[in-house]
Amino acid sequence: MTAAANAAAHEQPPAAPMLVAERIDTYYGLSHILRGVDFRVMPQETVSLLGRNGMGKTTLLRTLMGLVRPRHGRITLGGTEISGRRPSAASRAGLAFVPEDRGVFPNLTVKENLTFVARQGRNGRANWTLERIFSVFPRLAERRNNWGNQLSGGEQKMLAIGRALMTNPDIILLDEATEGLAPRIRDEIWETVRQIRAAGIAAVVVDKNLDDLLALTDRNVVLTKGEIVFDGSTAALKADPDFIQRHLGV
Amino acid sequence: MLARPRLLVIIVLGVLLIAAALTPMLGGIYAVKFATRVLVLAIFVVSLDLLIGITGLVSFGHAMFFALGAYALYFISPESEGANALIAFPAAMLLAGLAALAIGSVAVLTRGFYFIMVTLAFGQMLFSLFFDTKIAGGSDGAYIYIKPVISLFGFQLFDLEDRNTFYFVCLALLVAAYLGLLLLVRSPFGRVLQGIHWNEGRLSALGFNTYVYKLMSFVIAAAIAGLAGVLYATIDGFIAPELFGWRQSGIAIMMVVLGGAGTLFGPILGALSFSVLEEILKTEGFVGPIASYWSMALGFILIAAVLGAPRGIAGWLQGQRGDRESSSAPGLLAAPKREGGRGTGKLLETEGLSKVFGGLIAVQDVTLRFAPNQVHGIIGPNGAGKTTLINLLTGAMRSSSGRMRLDGEDMTAWSQHAIAQHGIARSYQRTNIILPFTARENCLIAAQAHHPQALRFSRRRYAAAEEAEAAYALNAVGLDARVDTVASHLSHGEQRQLEIAMLIASGAKLLILDEPLGGMGPEETGRVTALLRDLAANHTVLLVEHDMDAIFAVADTLTVLVEGRLLAHGTPQEIRRNPEVLKAYLGRFGETESAA
Amino acid sequence: MELVLIQILNGLQYGLLIFLAASGLTLVFGILGIINLSHGSFYMLGAYLSLTLTSLTGDIFLTLLLGVPLAFLFGMLVEWLFVRHLYGRDHLQQVLLTFALILIFNDLQRMIWGTRPHSVPIPSYLKASIQLSDVLSYPVYRLAVAGVCVVLVFCMIYVIQYTRIGQMIRAGESNREMVEVLGVDSRLLYRFVFAAGVALAAAAGTIAAPIDSVYPGIGEPVLITSFVVVVIGGIGSIKGAFFGALLIGLADAFGKVFLPEFASVMVYALMAAVLVVRPGGLFGRV
Repeated sequence: MTAAANAAAHEQPPAAPMLVAERIDTYYGLSHILRGVDFRVMPQETVSLLGRNGMGKTTLLRTLMGLVRPRHGRITLGGTEISGRRPSAASRAGLAFVPEDRGVFPNLTVKENLTFVARQGRNGRANWTLERIFSVFPRLAERRNNWGNQLSGGEQKMLAIGRALMTNPDIILLDEATEGLAPRIRDEIWETVRQIRAAGIAAVVVDKNLDDLLALTDRNVVLTKGEIVFDGSTAALKADPDFIQRHLGV
Repeated sequence: MLARPRLLVIIVLGVLLIAAALTPMLGGIYAVKFATRVLVLAIFVVSLDLLIGITGLVSFGHAMFFALGAYALYFISPESEGANALIAFPAAMLLAGLAALAIGSVAVLTRGFYFIMVTLAFGQMLFSLFFDTKIAGGSDGAYIYIKPVISLFGFQLFDLEDRNTFYFVCLALLVAAYLGLLLLVRSPFGRVLQGIHWNEGRLSALGFNTYVYKLMSFVIAAAIAGLAGVLYATIDGFIAPELFGWRQSGIAIMMVVLGGAGTLFGPILGALSFSVLEEILKTEGFVGPIASYWSMALGFILIAAVLGAPRGIAGWLQGQRGDRESSSAPGLLAAPKREGGRGTGKLLETEGLSKVFGGLIAVQDVTLRFAPNQVHGIIGPNGAGKTTLINLLTGAMRSSSGRMRLDGEDMTAWSQHAIAQHGIARSYQRTNIILPFTARENCLIAAQAHHPQALRFSRRRYAAAEEAEAAYALNAVGLDARVDTVASHLSHGEQRQLEIAMLIASGAKLLILDEPLGGMGPEETGRVTALLRDLAANHTVLLVEHDMDAIFAVADTLTVLVEGRLLAHGTPQEIRRNPEVLKAYLGRFGETESAA
Repeated sequence: MELVLIQILNGLQYGLLIFLAASGLTLVFGILGIINLSHGSFYMLGAYLSLTLTSLTGDIFLTLLLGVPLAFLFGMLVEWLFVRHLYGRDHLQQVLLTFALILIFNDLQRMIWGTRPHSVPIPSYLKASIQLSDVLSYPVYRLAVAGVCVVLVFCMIYVIQYTRIGQMIRAGESNREMVEVLGVDSRLLYRFVFAAGVALAAAAGTIAAPIDSVYPGIGEPVLITSFVVVVIGGIGSIKGAFFGALLIGLADAFGKVFLPEFASVMVYALMAAVLVVRPGGLFGRV
C-alpha cells in the first residue's frame, strides 16, 4: 500500500508532499508552454503525467529539474526551495531525471556511466549500489565494459534509469519510459518501475502506453495545452471515457 | 536592419566633417598628420564593420588586406619617381581583393570559432611570408621613397607629397567609402548580408547561397582595407610586416566594437576615440608613470567598455530603436502579380515513401494524396515520423524509397532549393524569423529570395514587386498594423503569423506548418486557425499539430501516422470514429469507446 | 640526410610540445565553449616561471614540480575572477575580452621581468649531445623535453581515462546538460578544466625555456600554432590535437629542410588543405 493509502487507512493526517510546484509558468522565448501549473508528489507515490505531444509534459519535468527556469512559480523539494537553482542542486536535493533521449554518455562504459555519479541519498541512504543495479538489470551486467553507444535503445533506457538510481534519489522523473521499445523490453522497464515503487522511491512517469502505466499509478495528472485538466485516481479517470478521448485521444 | 541614424548622430557627424575640413587651416603639422592617420584608420575599420557588424563574420585577420594594400604601393612604385595614384590605388584594392578571394574561399567554409582562428592563421601566414622571405625587404620593412602623385594622361594634378593635399584626398576617400558602404548595406544585397548575420540558417532555407554572399562581403571589405593600406603607406613611406599581424587585426576589432559595430559610422568614431585615447595613455604628461604600461590600461578600458557599453559609442548616441507606427491601411489587398507566376494551391502526392536511418525505420511506406486548396492535418501519438515526413516533403532529407509528386511532376530527386523554388515552404516548431528585422523586412527578404536575380545591388528593378508581395503577405495574415515593428517586439502569436507571412511572401503555394500553435493561448489559437482557413482559398496547407480541438476545427482531411506508418486518412469525423486510431492513442481505453 | 633526421626529431619534439599547449586550448574550447586568446600568455607564464624558479632551485625539473601547481592555482584564480563571466557571451565579446587579457598580461610580464631576453640554464646532467653520426649530434635536452611531454601526455590520458574527474570531463564533452542533471556542479568542473589548460600550457613553456631564450611575446607563436592545431584536429578533440600537432611538427620540419623561407607558410597551407576537405577539423564534432 502506498503511504497515502496507508495513512488514510489509519486515519492519520496525510503525509506532507515531498515535491511541490506552485503556479508554474514556463516560456520558451515567447511561447507560453506551462500555464499556472500546480503539481505535487507525495512521498513514495507513483504519479503518471499524461497528455498528448506538445502539451508540456517534458517541459514540466525539465522545469522541475531546473533545466528550464520558470518565469513564475515556486518549486520545493523536501522542504528545500529549488526553483531558479541549478539542476545539480535539484539532484542533490533528491531528484533524478531520466530524459526521453536517455542521455547516456557514449564515451563512457556502462560501468563508468553508473559509477561516476554514485553517491549517498539525502539522508545517508545508500541502498542502490552497483551490485544491486546489476542484479536488477542483468543485461547491463553482461555489458558492463561496453561503451554507452554500443547498447540498444532499451538497454540505454535501463542504463539511464540505473544511473539515476545510483544517486539514491527520493523521486525519479521518467520521461517516455517505453517509447520506441519492443514489447519484451517494455515489460522489463515496467517491472523496473514496479521495483522502484516497491523500494519506496516516488516516481513521475510519462508514457503513451496507458494500459501498462495506469496499472501502476497511485495518481494521474493530465496536461492539455500547458494546463492541468485532471489530477486524481485511476478509477476516477477511467470513469470518464469521454474525457480520456478528448484529452488523450483524438 | 541598419537603422537610420538619429538626428543627433547626423549632427555629430556633420560637426566632425566640418572640423576635419578645417583642421589643416587651424591645426599645425602634427595635427594634420594625426588626423590623416585617423582618416586612414577609419577607412580600414569601416571596411571591417562590413564583416563584423553587418555580415557577422568576426575576422581576426583583416589587417592582412590592409598590409597587402600598403605593400602594393611598394611593388608598384618605381625607384625614381612617384607612382600614379590613379593606378596604384586601384591596384592595391585589386591585390587585396584577389588575396581575399583566395583566402576567403577557404576561410568562409568555416564558421564560429573556426572562422576566427582561420582568419588569424592566414594573417600570420602572410606575416611569415613577408617577414621570413626577401619579397619586400623582409623583417627590415620597406621604403617608398617618393610619394605617389595623381596624374591624368601625363599631367600631374596633385602631388601627394604635400601633407594638406594628401589629407583632403584621404578625407574624400573616407566619405566615399562610408557612403558607398551605406548604399551597399541598404541594397538588397546588404539586406541578405544582415539576414545572414542574424539567422543564416533561415536565409539558407529561403534559398540564398550564403557562402557566396559571405565571400563577396569578405572580398569587398578586403578591397576597401587595401585602399586604406595604400594610403597608410603614403603617409610615411615606410611599411613593415608587423602590419599583417593579429595585433593589428585585434586593435581594428577593438575600434569597431568601441565605436559601435553594425552602424558603419560607429567605427569611424571608434577610430577617432581610440587614436585619441592611445595618445593620452602614452603621454606621461597626462597619466603619469602608467604611460609606459599603456597597453595594460587599454586592456582594462577595453574590458570595461565591452561589459559596460557593448553597443559602443554609436549605441549610446542612437539610443533604443523604437518602432514606427505603420502607415499601411487595413483592408484586403489584391494578390500581386508575380513574374513567372505560379498557380493556386498545389496537389501533393506520395507513393510508398520510406526513410530508414541505420536500423530505425522512421517513415514506412506512406502513400498519400493532399488535394489542393484544402487544409490537411497530420497527427499521430508520437513525434518522430511526422517530422521526418515533413523533412522528406521539403527536401531536407532524401527518401530511402518511394516517390513524391507535385502537380503530377515527379519531385523525388529534387534538391531542397528546387523544391522551394516550386512553391513548397515550411515553418518550424521554434519560431525561425529574423528577429532584428521589422515584419516588413522579413517578408521583403523572403520575397527577394524567389526573384530570378536574388543577388543584386540595385534596388530599383524588383523593389516595387517585392514591396507589393510583402504588403500582401502581411495583410493576408493580419499584421497590417505591425508592419514596421521589429520582429523581436512582436507577441508570440504575431511572430507565428509573421512566419506564415514569410512563406506567402516567398510565393509558396503549398505551406507545411510544423506545430504552429505551440505555446499559444485560446485567443491567439483562434486567430491563427481562422487565418489558416482563409489561406486555404489560395494555397494548400499541411498542418502538423497536437491541439486536437484546433485541428478538428480547421482541417478538411486528417492523416494519422503511428511510428512512421500510415494508419488512417480521411475526414476528421471518420478519424474520430476509427477504432484503430483510438487504439493507437489509448490502448485498451480506446476500445471501450468504439463499442459504444 | 642527417639534416633531415635532425629536422624530423626537431619536428616531433616541437609537435609534442605544441600538443601539450594545444590540448589545454582544445579542452577549454570543447568543454567551456569559449575562445581564449590569452592562452599564449600562459605558455609565457611557464617560461618566466622557469626563469625565476630555476634561479631559485637550480634545476629545471624541480621548477616543473613547483611551477605546474603554481600555474594551476593561477589558472583557477583567473577563471574565478574573469573567465567565468565569458560563458554564454557571443564570440566577438569573448575575443575582445581575452584580447584585453593579453594586453594586461603582457604589461604585467614587463613590469615583473622586464624586456631583455633571458636564458634558462639546462641542467648539467643533460647538457650533452648524442652522437647520431660522425658529423652530427643531437642535444640530449631536446630528447628530455620530448620525454617530459610524453610523460605529461600519459598523465593526461591516465587522468582522463581512469579517474573520476576524467570521467566527468569526458561526460561533459558529450552531454554537458546531463552531467549537471546527475548532480555535478559544472562550475567547479569548468574551473578545474580551465586551470588544467593553463597548467599544461605553462608546463610546455617551462620545459621549452632552456632551448631558446625567454623573451616577451614568447607565447604568441605558440598561440597561433595551437589554434592551427585545434582547427586541424577539431575543437574539443584531444586525439585531433595530437594528430594535428604531430602533422604540424613534421610539416614545419620538412618545410625547413626543403623550402626554408616558406617553412612557416607550409603549416598554414596544411591547415587550408584540411579545411577544404573537412571544415570541422579531422576529428571535430560539428
